[in-house]
This record gives sequence, C-alpha cells and structure tokens, in this order.
Amino acid sequence: MTPSGASPPSPSAWAIEAVGLSKRYGAVDALAGVDVSVPHGAAFGLIGLNGAGKTTFIKSMLGILRPTGGSIRVLGGRPRDRRVRARIGYLPERLELPPSFRADELLASVARLKGLRDRDEVERRLARVGLSGERARIGAFSKGMKQRLGLAAALLGAPSLLVLDEPTDGIDPLGRVEVRRILAEERARGATIFLNSHLLSETVRICDRVGILSGGRLVREGTVDALCGSSEHHRVRFAPGVDPARLAAAGFTPTDAADTWRCAARDPAELGARLDAAKAAGAWLMELAPDLRDLEDVLAEAVGRAA
Amino acid sequence: MRAVAHVAFDLLLEARSRRWLLVLAAAISLVLSAIALFLQLDVVDGSLAATRLFGQSLGADGEAVGLALRPLFAASAWIVFYGGISFGILACSDFGPRMLSPGRIELLLSLPLHRVELLVGTWLGVLCIALLGATWGAGGLTLILGWKTGVWTLGPLAAGALACLTFATIHAAMLAVSLWARSAALSAMVGFALFFAGVVAGYRDQALAAFQAGIGRELFRWATLALPRVSAVCRDAMAIAGSEAFDPVGLAARAGAMAAFAGAALALAAWRFEGKDF
Repeated sequence: MTPSGASPPSPSAWAIEAVGLSKRYGAVDALAGVDVSVPHGAAFGLIGLNGAGKTTFIKSMLGILRPTGGSIRVLGGRPRDRRVRARIGYLPERLELPPSFRADELLASVARLKGLRDRDEVERRLARVGLSGERARIGAFSKGMKQRLGLAAALLGAPSLLVLDEPTDGIDPLGRVEVRRILAEERARGATIFLNSHLLSETVRICDRVGILSGGRLVREGTVDALCGSSEHHRVRFAPGVDPARLAAAGFTPTDAADTWRCAARDPAELGARLDAAKAAGAWLMELAPDLRDLEDVLAEAVGRAA
Repeated sequence: MRAVAHVAFDLLLEARSRRWLLVLAAAISLVLSAIALFLQLDVVDGSLAATRLFGQSLGADGEAVGLALRPLFAASAWIVFYGGISFGILACSDFGPRMLSPGRIELLLSLPLHRVELLVGTWLGVLCIALLGATWGAGGLTLILGWKTGVWTLGPLAAGALACLTFATIHAAMLAVSLWARSAALSAMVGFALFFAGVVAGYRDQALAAFQAGIGRELFRWATLALPRVSAVCRDAMAIAGSEAFDPVGLAARAGAMAAFAGAALALAAWRFEGKDF
C-alpha cells in the first residue's frame, strides 16, 4: 500500500498497463504472463471461458489480490494506492449488498467512503439507473435492481476508469439498452471502460477493443473489427441464377447462404477487378460487405488454438 | 480517521435491523420500564421507608438508602458484564464474516480505503454497539434509581464501560479469527472460548495455589499469562458499581493488559488482512 504522502500517480498514456502479469494459486496459473495496455478513453472487453483468469485479472487491477509476478499500473499508479482507487468505479461480478440498507443509504455510504461531498449526486445516480424514489430495503430487491444499484455505486464520483464485471447480468433487455446508453455517456465524458461479460453481443456493442484470455494467457487482442473481420475478405451476394463454375473461376468461393459468395482482395483495385470478372460471368451484384465473423467464432477459434 | 468513522457508522446503520440487537434493546427497555413502573422506593431521612416490587415487600425497609442500593448496583454490574458480553459475542459474531463476504469485500476493497481502516472501523462499530447497550442499560438504571431515591452514582456506568472494554478485547480476537476462516459460528466459538478462559484466568492466582508444583502448574501459568482477566475485571466492576473498595492499580494493570491484548489481536488481524487475497 502506498503511503498517502508518496508521490502522486504519474500520468501515463495507458489507463491500464499490465506487463507479464501472473498469479499462481498452488500449482495452478490463473494468470501466466498477461500483457495488456488499454488507452485512456477506450472501452476494452475481456472475454474468455470460465476459469480463464478474467476475474483474477480484474482483482489484480484493483489491488484486491496481489500478483505473483509481473506488474500492473492503473491510471498511472499502483492499484493499492488509494488515490488511484478514488478514480475507479467497480461493479463486482457477485454483488453482495447489506440487505437492511435502502438504495439511497447504500449510495450515501459509498459516497462517504469515496470522500465525495456532493449530496445531490446520490439522487442523480439513482435517477440515472431508474431507482429514484425506491424506498424498499435492498434485501427485497431483484437481481436486476441490485445490479443497477451496483452500477450507480460504480458511477459515483465520475470515475476515470469503470471496471464492470458482468454489468448486465440479471437485467432485462430494456434495462440492458439503458446500461449501454449509460456506458456510452460515460465514454463520451472521457471515462475508460473495462468490461468483463459472458454476453459477447454486449461486449461487441460496448467495446472497441477486445482481449481473449485462455488458460491465464492473453491469446488474442485487438479492435472488434480486426478480430471479427478482415479488410481482405468480403461477402458478396449476387442475383439468383448465377453459374457457380464461372464464379469459382473468377476467384469466388461459395458459402452456406444462398447466392452468397466469399472473395479475397488485397486492395480496392483487386476487389473491383474481381467484381468485373463476376459481372462478365453474368453475375449481378446485389450486396457487398466485409466478411465478419461472430465474436463467438473468434473466441472458439482462439481458445481452441490456445488449447 | 474519517474513513474509520464512516465504516463504524455504516456498521451501526446495518445493526439497526439486526434482530438479535433489537431483542436486546427491547429486553433492556422492558426491564427498565418494569423497574421504573413497579419498583416502589420511599425514602425518608436518607433511609428506605418502604420497598416494594410488583406490590411485594422487598424487606429492606429502614436501611440507609445508599447502603441498600449497593447490592442492586453490584448485581446489575454482574448482569451487564456476563449477560452483556455473552449476548454481544452471539449477536456480533457475524459482523466480521459479513464484511468479508464475497461480492461485498471486493466492493469495499475497490474504494479508496486502507484495509486497516476497514478492520478498525468494523471493530469500533461493534464497540459502539456495546457502548450504546451498556449505556442504555446501566445509565437507565442509574437514572431511574437516582430519580426514585436521590442517590446519584456513576458506578454502574463505569462498570458498563469495563464490560465494554472486555467485550472489545474478545471481539478483536473474533475479528482476527474471521480473517483466517470466514465463519460466524467459528467466530462465536472463539469468542466464548476466550471469554471462559478469561473467567478462569481471573482466578489465576487462586488456581495456581491449588496446583502442585510441577509441569502442570507451569503450563497453567504460561497458558493464562496473556489472557484477559475477565472475572477479575468483573469483580472490579461490581465493586465500583456498588461503591465498594477496589484496587485501582490492579484494575489499571488488568485494563491495560486487556487493551494490549486487543491491540495485539487487531495487529495480527491487520497483518493477515493486508496479505490476504480476495
């Protein structure tokens, strides 16, 4: 723990910077040399199978557990530095809140412990997550309400970094839309978002960068577009009635979908040439799109490759 | 220090709805109400002229009121001490384990707090609950009897404070144990074990005299050396409450030893907390 009189966290280009981070439990490597750099203002999603090390990474990031090797810096400082933690909002995966508190009492408690003085902020945050005026005790809350309250607690103090572990777990579909809207607002404000979610569709919608953990190692990392697609591969749909043999001769490969083909082209000129060849073969272009894969496919491939 | 106070305050907020503590508060209030309403103490020229409880004579008529109340105050100190501490161990055994429960400790540790502040705040919060209970019980009794007889003494409150110090010592050990095994049952078991060992340690000198010289005696001497002298402090509390003579130097030594024991238990807990992964 850094003494309060120590030098302040140094400014860094990275909101989160892990170098060779490892954590060992007995004979098991929960993290085995993870390198991750998340720039300020980014929305980074960490995905992986159960036991991949995602929660261990998050806990290392927050100083809740001590890594056995490597280093991690958050907002330019050490995770155990209270000045760093004062700028972090965290929503744990398995949220356990005091059942006898009301929503406003819990937020007031978190605000006190964060050293916040703005008395109106509690009400604003409650209103933002749709819990304004809620007088019931937390013990009577549904899981979704607890999640929303946890999110409101994480948002207190307008943190520079939001660390969210399964934030939409238990929240209904419309509530998820609202959560995404809140996170978009936080990003627009300049906050960095670090998301761990099993819902890959949520990760795609919220994050611009994704890292895949498998067996305690970061096996893939990049922008969602880069992971899910390639600028060299395209999906092309032609009008029905095309001759498959002539299209294949023009460099197109069939897909499972009717009248839909794939083609590879290094640049627009090559793509134009291929489409000209298709046209010459009697194929009329109906639709052209980058050949994107699901994040699920990318995850399965990455995990399979790691295994 | 502000963070410690906030943690303690939150614990008090949480205690509001604890059934055990509400039962304790209700029981104390019931006993005090019964004493206020049904204990008749008529004082004439400094002596009890009539003493009745629920209409039945207590047979203390004619005694000097100051003397007559001494056994009552001493008995109340005994009840606050043994009853209050036993109840406190039971009712407060899960505050530590709850603070450490998964999903809650992660949220607390992500806040700008030092772990030691969280620990000391929890301990102080429980101490405040004990102080409130003791003040409500002993203070209420003092006020009611003072109002009825004109005899005003701080003895019962001082006895209550000693009971709180003893409970705080035991609770520090209970908190430390929670950091090794997060179990309210284990925490309560350790609390009661230390409590009873402390009762025995309070009779250490008498017990040592009963041993024959040898290994058994030396083992007992060493085993009880650092234990809080619970029963000895209770005797001091009863003496203070009953305005009897007591050994202030001996009491200061026993209270100091208990404070040192509590400090050592908290230091051990803090060391464990700092190094523990959650």
